Amino acid sequence: MALVKVENLTKTYGEVHAVAGVSFEIREGEIFGLLGPNGAGKTTTIHVLCTYTEPTGGNVTVAGCSVTAEAETVKRAIGVVPQEIALYADLNAVENMRFFGRVYDVPEARLRQRIGELLQLVGLTEHAHKRVEHYSGGMKRRLNLAVGLLSEPRFLMLDEPTVGVDPQSRNAIFENIQALNRQGLTVLYTTHYMEEAQLLCDRVAIMDEGRIIALDTPQNLVQTLGTGLIRIGVKDGVSEEMLARLRALPRVHAVTRHDDSLAFETVDAQRALLDIIALFNEMDTPMTSLHILEPNLESVFIQLTGKQLRD
Amino acid sequence: MKKMLLIGLNELLLLSKDRMAIVWMLIAPLGLTFIACLVFGGPGSTSEAVVMDLPLVDHDGGEMAAAVLDVLSQAGNLCVETGYDEETARRLVEDGERAGAVIVPTGFSEAIRSRQPTSLELVVVPSGQTAPLLEGMVRGVTGGFANVQTVVEVAVGEARRAAGSHSPDYADEYIRKETIERAVATALERLHHPLVATRVTVVGADDEREFDAGSQIVPGYAVMFAMFTVLSAAGGILEEKERGTFKRLLISPLPKWALLGGKLVAQFLVGVAQIALLFVFGVLVFHLDLGDSPLGLLLITLATCWATTSLGVLLVAVIRSRRQIHPITTLVILGSSALGGSWYPLFLMPKVVQQVARITLVSWAMEGYNRLMIMGGSLADVWVNIGVLILYGATCFAIGLKLFRFKET
Repeated sequence: MALVKVENLTKTYGEVHAVAGVSFEIREGEIFGLLGPNGAGKTTTIHVLCTYTEPTGGNVTVAGCSVTAEAETVKRAIGVVPQEIALYADLNAVENMRFFGRVYDVPEARLRQRIGELLQLVGLTEHAHKRVEHYSGGMKRRLNLAVGLLSEPRFLMLDEPTVGVDPQSRNAIFENIQALNRQGLTVLYTTHYMEEAQLLCDRVAIMDEGRIIALDTPQNLVQTLGTGLIRIGVKDGVSEEMLARLRALPRVHAVTRHDDSLAFETVDAQRALLDIIALFNEMDTPMTSLHILEPNLESVFIQLTGKQLRD
Repeated sequence: MKKMLLIGLNELLLLSKDRMAIVWMLIAPLGLTFIACLVFGGPGSTSEAVVMDLPLVDHDGGEMAAAVLDVLSQAGNLCVETGYDEETARRLVEDGERAGAVIVPTGFSEAIRSRQPTSLELVVVPSGQTAPLLEGMVRGVTGGFANVQTVVEVAVGEARRAAGSHSPDYADEYIRKETIERAVATALERLHHPLVATRVTVVGADDEREFDAGSQIVPGYAVMFAMFTVLSAAGGILEEKERGTFKRLLISPLPKWALLGGKLVAQFLVGVAQIALLFVFGVLVFHLDLGDSPLGLLLITLATCWATTSLGVLLVAVIRSRRQIHPITTLVILGSSALGGSWYPLFLMPKVVQQVARITLVSWAMEGYNRLMIMGGSLADVWVNIGVLILYGATCFAIGLKLFRFKET
C-alpha cells in the first residue's frame, strides 16, 4: 500500500524548473531513495512533501492527506531530518529535544522517555548535557536524526543526512535507519552517494535536472548494465556507421552516445573491450579516455546521463 | 497561546546562555544614557543652533536683571523679547506660541547684592518636548551668570571693600594678596552654592511642577533602545532561518501567529526589562522624577515595547537577508528616534517635520512619557498614546504576519 503518492509534481522558480513532472509512490514500510547530483531536485521534492514548499503543479499526498490542503495533518504524520543541522547550538541535546518535542505536543512523561530512548539509539546518552556547539559533525548529524524522530512519525524524510560526517557516524546513522525501518517506519532518503542508496534502499529513483530518469530496486537498476560499463571518450564523436557496428558487437548489450563519450553496457566487459578497441583501430578513430566501471548505481547514472554523480 | 509561550521561553533560554550578550544589552543603554545625562543635563550646557523667541518679564528692574537680559541676549539661539507682562508671557507659552518664558522676580538684584539666594523662573510649553532644551539653555546662561559673573562681582566687591575704594578704576592698585585669596574663596563658595537658581515650571498642567533634563533624556534613550528590539527581533528570526531551525519549526504543527508571536514575546520582555532598568538607573543616579502615575508609566512602556517588537516582525517580513538587516533597521531605528523626539524636542523641527513625525511610534511614546514624567499627567492623559501604540503594534504584526514567507513559493 502506498503511504506517499507523488503525481506529476512540478516546482518552478522563475525560469528554473527545479522539479519537472515527477511521479512516484512510496510503499508503507520501505526505504525509498532519491539519488541524484546536487541540483537534481531531491531537496525540493522533500520540501514539497514536508509542506515547506508550495508545489507549482501536481498532486502530492502523505497517508492519504494532501500536502497543500491538509498540511497540518501531514505535519503530524511526518518526521524530517533536514540537510542543515537544524539545532540550537547554544543548547544541549536534552534542551533541544525537549523544546522540539513540546512543539510536537509530545506529552511530558512520554517526551522524557522518548528523549532517553533516542539518545541511546543515536549513541549520545553520555553527551546529553553537553552544548551542541561542542559536538563533532557526526554527533550533530545523529542528534539531528533523533530530533526528527521525537514525534514518532509514520514517515521519516532524511535529506542528505550523512554529508560531512565521519565513517563511524555514517555507519551509526545507517544502522539507526535500518533498525527504525525494521520497526515499520517508512523512510525517504535522499543522497548523492550511490553506495548509500545501494546499501539502504529498497527502491531508488534516480533524479537528474528535475526529472526521474530511472526507478527500480538497486539490483534491477544495476542489472541493466550487464556485467560492466565501459566508457570511452571520443573527441569528435563517431559516425552513424561506426555506432551501428559498435552496437552489433557480440558482447555489447547497448551503446549510449553522450556529448564527448560513448557508454557501453556489456555482457563481459574485459572481452568486449578487446572487440571495441579493435573496431576503433579499424575505423581509425582516436580515443581520448577509457574507463571500465563496475556495475553499480553510479555506473547506471553515468550510463543514463553521461555525467558523474558527484560533480 | 501555549505554543507561543513555548517559543518565547525558548528564546529567553537561548538568551540566558549568552551571558555576555545580556551584560552588554544592559550596559549599552545605561552607559549611553549616563553620558547623555551628563552632557545635556549638566549645568551650563547649550547645544542647539535653532533660534527661539523667549519672552523675558522683568519684575526687578535692577542691574542684575539687566545682566540676565544681556547674557541671554548674547546666546546665539535665543531671541529675547521684553515688553510683555507676566500674564501675556504665560499665555503665549500656554497657547504654544512661545516655547517658554523667563520671569525675573522682584528683588532679584537686591538678593544677589545681599548674597541671598534667588531664582529665575522658566515657564515652558505644556507639550514637554521643549522643556529640557530651554531648561538647559536658561540654566546654562543664568548658571554662567550666577556662577561666573557673580563670582567676579563678588571678588571685585571684596577687593574694593578691602581697598576702601568704590572706584573700579583704582581698585586694582589697592588689591592685596590676602584680599585676592578671600575673593577667590568666596568665588569658589559661590560656584558650589550659586546664588541664582533656575526654577522651571510647566504651565497648562493640573499643577505646576519642577523637572530636570533627565525627564527627557532617560525616556528618550529608553525608547530608542526599545527600538533596538526591532533589530533583535528581525535579526533573531533571520539568523534562525539561515541556520535551519526556523525551517524545522515551520514544518512542525505550529500556528503561524504562535511562531512569530513567540519570537516577539521574548524581545518584548527584553525591551521592557531594558526600559525598566533605565528608569531605575535614572531614579537612583539622577533622581529622575517618574511622575505620579506608575500605572500609566507601566502601560506606556508595555505599549511602546509591543509596538517596537511588532515593527521588528514587519521588518523581518520584508527583509530577505542578514546583510540587509543592519542598514534597514539602523535607518528605521535612528530615523525614528531622531524624528520622533528621542534626541531632540520635536518643536525644534519645522512644522511639516513635526507632522511627519507622528508616523513614528517614537513620537507617540515620547509624548506619553513627557506627559507623565514632566507634566505630572495621569493615566487619562496618555490613553490616546497607549491606544495608538497598541494599534501601531497590532497593525505591524498583522501586516508582518501577512507578508511573512512561511512557505517557499
